[in-house]
Amino acid sequence: MTSLRTHGLTKAFGGVLAVDGAGVELRDGEINALIGPNGCGKTTFFNLITGMIRPDSGRVTYRGRDITGHSPHRVAHAGIGRTFQLCRVFPRLTVLENMLVAVRRTRLRELLAGLHDKGEVERARHWLGRMGIDHLERAEARHLSYGQQKLLELAAVLMAEPDLVLLDEPAGGVNPALIDRIVTLVRDLNAEGRTFLVVEHNMDMVMGMSDHVIVFDRGRPIAAGPPATVRNDPRVLEAYLGV
Amino acid sequence: MRIASRGLLLLGAALAIGYPWLVPNYYLVYAGVLTVMYAAMATSWNLLGGFTGYVSLGHSAFFGLGAYGTGLLVTRLDVPWVAALLASALLVTVFAVLVGIAAVRVRGASFVIVSIALVSMMNLLVQGWRSLTGGSTGLQVPSPFPGLHRGETHLVFFYLFLLLLALALASWWFIGRSRFGAGLRAIREDEDKAESLGVPTAAYKVAAFALSALFVALAGGLYALWFGSLDPIFVFSILIGSSMVLMSLLGGARHLLGPLLGALIVAPAGEYFLVALGETQIHLTATGLLLILVVLFMPEGIIARFAGNRDTASIPEQSAGQRLEGAAR
Repeated sequence: MTSLRTHGLTKAFGGVLAVDGAGVELRDGEINALIGPNGCGKTTFFNLITGMIRPDSGRVTYRGRDITGHSPHRVAHAGIGRTFQLCRVFPRLTVLENMLVAVRRTRLRELLAGLHDKGEVERARHWLGRMGIDHLERAEARHLSYGQQKLLELAAVLMAEPDLVLLDEPAGGVNPALIDRIVTLVRDLNAEGRTFLVVEHNMDMVMGMSDHVIVFDRGRPIAAGPPATVRNDPRVLEAYLGV
Repeated sequence: MRIASRGLLLLGAALAIGYPWLVPNYYLVYAGVLTVMYAAMATSWNLLGGFTGYVSLGHSAFFGLGAYGTGLLVTRLDVPWVAALLASALLVTVFAVLVGIAAVRVRGASFVIVSIALVSMMNLLVQGWRSLTGGSTGLQVPSPFPGLHRGETHLVFFYLFLLLLALALASWWFIGRSRFGAGLRAIREDEDKAESLGVPTAAYKVAAFALSALFVALAGGLYALWFGSLDPIFVFSILIGSSMVLMSLLGGARHLLGPLLGALIVAPAGEYFLVALGETQIHLTATGLLLILVVLFMPEGIIARFAGNRDTASIPEQSAGQRLEGAAR
C-alpha cells in the first residue's frame, strides 16, 4: 500500500542539514499530510521528491520505481503532479492554454499538431467546470483573482492525469469559503482514486481532511499516523510548542 | 476586421514582391536586400527570443559561421553555391545544438553573457585561423552569378532573402499554433512551472535555439554569396546580434510580424543615416536611443502598443466579491 517512499533522504545547504536521512512512506489512495514547524525541512523535502533539487544521498521510489534525482518533467511523467506554495500559473497564457500545456506529448507528430485538439479541449473544460472557472477559459491567467489562479493551477495539474498529487500549502492566502471548496475538491478527487500529499500550516484543515499525518522536525519525520493519534503525541507537542 | 487584416497582408506581400520593380534605382534595391535580410534574421531570432524569452545577443555567431562556412566551401572546395549554403547551415545547426545544450542551462542575464561570449570566441577563432579564413583581411567569395552585373545580383538576392523571410515567418506561425509552441511560451512565462507540469524544458529550448540558428545561418550564407566579401569584425559583431534584438523588441517579440515591422523601421533608418551623414557613428547612437525609448515606452513593442490586447477586453470588470464568489461557486 505504498505509493511514494523515501530512504535516508539527505540534503545539506552549506553546513545546514535541511533534510536529514528522512524515511517517509505515503499511503496509496489516501490523503497524506506533511506538517512541521517552520524550517523543519518540509519544503526541501518537497523539492527533493519532485526533482527540483537533487539529494546528497538517499533514494526516492514511486510505486517501486526509482525516481531519485530525476528531472522534474520525468517525475511528472511518472504520474506525480504538484502545485506551488505561492500558486504558479502561466500569466500571459489563456486559462485554456494553461490547461493544454499540461498534456503530455511524446511523439514529434503530436508536438507539431495544433494546440486546440477537440478531445483535449473537452477534457480541459471538464476540469475547469469542476473547479468552477470554466467561464474564464479565454481570459489570460494574470487577470484571474488569486483564488481563481489557485483553482486553475490545480485544474492544470489534474489535466496531466497524475496518480499522486502534491499540494504545497493549498490554503495559503485563500479566504475560508475557498478553503472549504478546495477541501471538498480534494476529498472528491481522493474518492476517485487519487493519492494526495498536502503540506499545510492550517491545522484545522490538515486534521479535518487527511487520513495519514506525517510530522517533520529538524529534517526528518518524528511521528506518523492518523490525525487523532498524532495530535496527542508528546513528541509532536514538543516540536511545535518547545515544551 | 479579419478580411481587412488579410487584405493588408496580401497588399504587403504584393508590395514586397513588386518592390525591386517599383524603385527607380539599384541603390534602393540594395537597401531593400539589406532590409529583407535583417527582417529574415530578426524573425529567425524571434523563434528563440519571442517564444522562450531567452534574449541572445550572440546570434551573429551563427550569422558569421553560416557566412564563413558557405564562403569556405565555395572557395576552398569548389562546392556549388546552393549545396554550400545548405551544408553550412546544417553544420551550424549541429554546432548550435551542442552550444545550446550548454548555453540554455543558464537564464536571464547569464544567458545574455554566454551568448556574447560565444560571438567573441567565434570572432577570435576566425581572425586567428589565418591559413583557413584569411584572418582579419577577410574572405572573398566569388559571385554565384558571374553573368549578372551588380544591380541584377541585388535583384536575385532580394528574392532569395524574401524566400528566407517567408520560410522564417511560416516556421514561426507553424510553431506558434502548435503544442510545441505552447510549451515554449510556457517556458517564457514560468520555466520551473512548465518543467513540473511535464514539459521537457531543456530539450524544447535546445530545439528552439537550433532552429533559430539554422535560419540565421542561412541568412549568413546568403549574405556571403551576395556581398562577396567577409570581414570577421563585421559578421561576428555584437552590433548585428543586437540589431536582431532591437528589431524584434521594437516591433513586438510576441507577434509574428513584430520583428519584420521592426526591421522595416530600423534597417532603412540606418541606411538613411549612413547616406545623409556619411561614415559617422551617429546611427549607432540613434540605435541606442531607439532601444531606450522602446524599453521605456513600448516594452511590448509597437504592435502590442497600437493593436491593443483583445484578450484583456474579454473579461468584464468584476468586484472582488463577485470574483471570489465565482471562484468558490
